[in-house]
Amino acid sequence: MFSWERLGQVWAKYSGMYIGGLGYTLLVSLVAVFLGLVLGLVVASGRMLTLSPRENAAAKAVKMVVKLVCTAYVEVFRATPMLVQVFIIYYGPGTLLKVASDTTMNRMFWGMVAVGLNSAAYMSEVIRSGIGAVPGGQMEAARSLGMSHWKAMQHVVLPQAVRNILPAMCNEFVTIIKETSILGMVGVTELMFNAQSIAKQTYVFLEPYVLAAAMYFVVVFTLSKAISALERRMRKSVTR
Amino acid sequence: MSPAKGEKLIEVQHLEKHFKHVEVLRGIDIDICRGDVVAVIGPSGSGKSTFLRCLNLLEEPTGGHIIFEGRDITDKSTKVDVMRQKIGMVFQQFNLFTNMTVLDNVCAGPVLVKGMAKADAQKLAQSLLERVGLGDRGGAYPIQLSGGQQQRVAIARALAMQPDVMLFDEPTSALDPEMVHEVLDVMKQLADEGMTMVVVTHEMGFAREVANRVVFIDEGVIQEENEPHAFFASPKNARLKDFLSKVL
Repeated sequence: MFSWERLGQVWAKYSGMYIGGLGYTLLVSLVAVFLGLVLGLVVASGRMLTLSPRENAAAKAVKMVVKLVCTAYVEVFRATPMLVQVFIIYYGPGTLLKVASDTTMNRMFWGMVAVGLNSAAYMSEVIRSGIGAVPGGQMEAARSLGMSHWKAMQHVVLPQAVRNILPAMCNEFVTIIKETSILGMVGVTELMFNAQSIAKQTYVFLEPYVLAAAMYFVVVFTLSKAISALERRMRKSVTR
Repeated sequence: MSPAKGEKLIEVQHLEKHFKHVEVLRGIDIDICRGDVVAVIGPSGSGKSTFLRCLNLLEEPTGGHIIFEGRDITDKSTKVDVMRQKIGMVFQQFNLFTNMTVLDNVCAGPVLVKGMAKADAQKLAQSLLERVGLGDRGGAYPIQLSGGQQQRVAIARALAMQPDVMLFDEPTSALDPEMVHEVLDVMKQLADEGMTMVVVTHEMGFAREVANRVVFIDEGVIQEENEPHAFFASPKNARLKDFLSKVL
């Protein structure tokens, strides 16, 4: 059964591994979220392409294909488990294409890519709905003044969409922190992987995982509260 | 070079608009001349708003032609963004940019589209805000204003582009009754100054007193058009008679 004493002993001996693991967890999450944001922006833009009757057939065809590819991407990544995606990416491109001679680095890289690709699918939907939530009249009013579509996006629609997107994006980061725990399955030395190694070395199983849970909790809980505070502040702003 | 008063500004030739399976506009013909104030009335769903939105291509016509200042704007080679600079639009829901102050809303067109220097644009915007009676509200955000005030800012914003024609899409329909007159007053003042205006409205008083032409649209075509006195005193079209009997 659980014992505080054993917990203390595990912490005393392995605190370095926990802190190091947490460091990797945060690093992988940050990079993955950044990758997800950039790729998510691209995918969201692709899905939001509008077909104007003023364009020629070739331009329309290209746009249709881009839309289709982006939609397929989002649907596939949202409808399959992330663990499966991680395995496929790690054992597929991850073994074919060694980006680093060092195995640890290679695992880390492909782990980030896998989580980033997954995150992009969700992020693109967050971005799309954030932009979709800006009333259509804003775009129409901007276009009526003679602004181009992109200029209207840049100065009118996106600044308003950011208010919708930012909190959801932070929440995605929090989710990712928890989800990177499955990267331990392909040998990325993040927090969960280290907890597992400690358990295997010491034959103590419960306490190492309780410690890992405590560390996830502190980070995720703190971040969630900070995001709620941010959201409240944005809601109060007069520009809304 | 701007055309003289009375010269044709917009020629609408057999304008059609279909949405999927619905024929909204089924051949609209009308010439709008410089200085005209055209009130467009009709039952809801008659196509009057769609007609207005076709004039600056917020809706792409599916048939016919619109000649604006001598150019066929339905031609695919026409630069839509350039053409729109000359056509001001005021919406039922105001559509002020909520991320900008009132002053920045009015500056947006001149600065972002015409590339006017910020200081010059602010001077222009301030004078326009004073003209619509809101000279002291430039620093406020749209949400802090009443509906009537927002609509007056929207008019100032459109005027800042110095358009040749102003389109109004039911500008008072979303307002509380006591705010309707402040917006109509601004529009009347504009009309008196000689602005060419096309106004889709349910305000029969405005149509009668300010417009020099009244157009009745129903089922996607112009059923009747006349100068206001005759239009209201002796309507000929049966649908128009029926419509007027319900709204007057």
